[in-house]
Amino acid sequence: MKMSKSIIYTALLCAFSLALSTPAPAAEVEQVFNFYCAQCHGLEGKGDGPNVSKTFPVDPRNFTKAKEMEKLSDADMKNVIMDGGPSASKSPMMPPWSKTISEADADALVKYLRKLCNCKGKGS
Amino acid sequence: MKRLTSALLGSALLMLAASPVHAGEKIFTAKKCNACHYTQGPAREKSIADQLAKKGPELWYAGSKFQQKWLQAWLQDPKPIRSLKYNSLTVNNPGNHPKLAAADAKSVTDFLMTLTSKSVKSGFIKPKKNPKGRLIFVKKMPCSGCHAFPGKKKFKGGRSGPSLVGAGKRLNPDWIFAYLKDTKEFKPVRSMPVFKGLLSEKNMKKVAQYVASFK
Repeated sequence: MKMSKSIIYTALLCAFSLALSTPAPAAEVEQVFNFYCAQCHGLEGKGDGPNVSKTFPVDPRNFTKAKEMEKLSDADMKNVIMDGGPSASKSPMMPPWSKTISEADADALVKYLRKLCNCKGKGS
Repeated sequence: MKRLTSALLGSALLMLAASPVHAGEKIFTAKKCNACHYTQGPAREKSIADQLAKKGPELWYAGSKFQQKWLQAWLQDPKPIRSLKYNSLTVNNPGNHPKLAAADAKSVTDFLMTLTSKSVKSGFIKPKKNPKGRLIFVKKMPCSGCHAFPGKKKFKGGRSGPSLVGAGKRLNPDWIFAYLKDTKEFKPVRSMPVFKGLLSEKNMKKVAQYVASFK
């Protein structure tokens, strides 16, 4: 009985650790993207969110343009997501999300963006 | 002595029952305002889904957030504050918020102004058009990307966040600062970045002063 209890506890602990370290599943990532990123990048990631008008100071990145997206490594993208545009000499209109979203969500977002561009990043 | 205490307690209860605050809450419920706005804190949202399930903003700290005069007038003539429908990026705000008659608007305002947050210190922020606040709002941080703001520039701000045009009349300056500083207390899940740890309190104060000066 003691043995089976400890197995259950170990299994629960493993499941818990896995839950903490695993990026969010696809449906959740899409929700994260739609909630935070689509305001400027658009629901399809084409850089045409509702904030973007003719006078918007910058063109938000179109994630479906593979040629442009290939120039960026996954680390470059995560860096800009977490620390904002200025961290890569880009516009401050791209906010720093490091205090808002988790590392796991940022990793999942990078994968999601790769899906949108259907491309691989620099160095991968 | 017992009778006197009972009589005093009885009168106090009667006065409380007849107070305009209670009348406002009754109207708030009767008009089904609580179908879209919750009024009991603390914040309930734990996930994006929780936030998206809401039909309108939470009001449990309305008394700390709004200016009484503005709120009473707005309830009688509720012009859209958001360009887009609440929680939508694709549908424009239909501008169909129910209107209240003057007396009801006063009662509901009186009720809402009793809903306050201890995180908002009063008399701390004074509206001020300061260059540092402006620099952060317009250039260093992405505030203008999502919020409409007044100004002579061609770019008048984004649409996904509530408009800040007229914020000086609508919002309590102290709440603007508290919202920047203790974001998660008010909105644990929101599509605006958390700036705590990225912007110093001194600079948050400058931004709050600047936003509070918006006409």
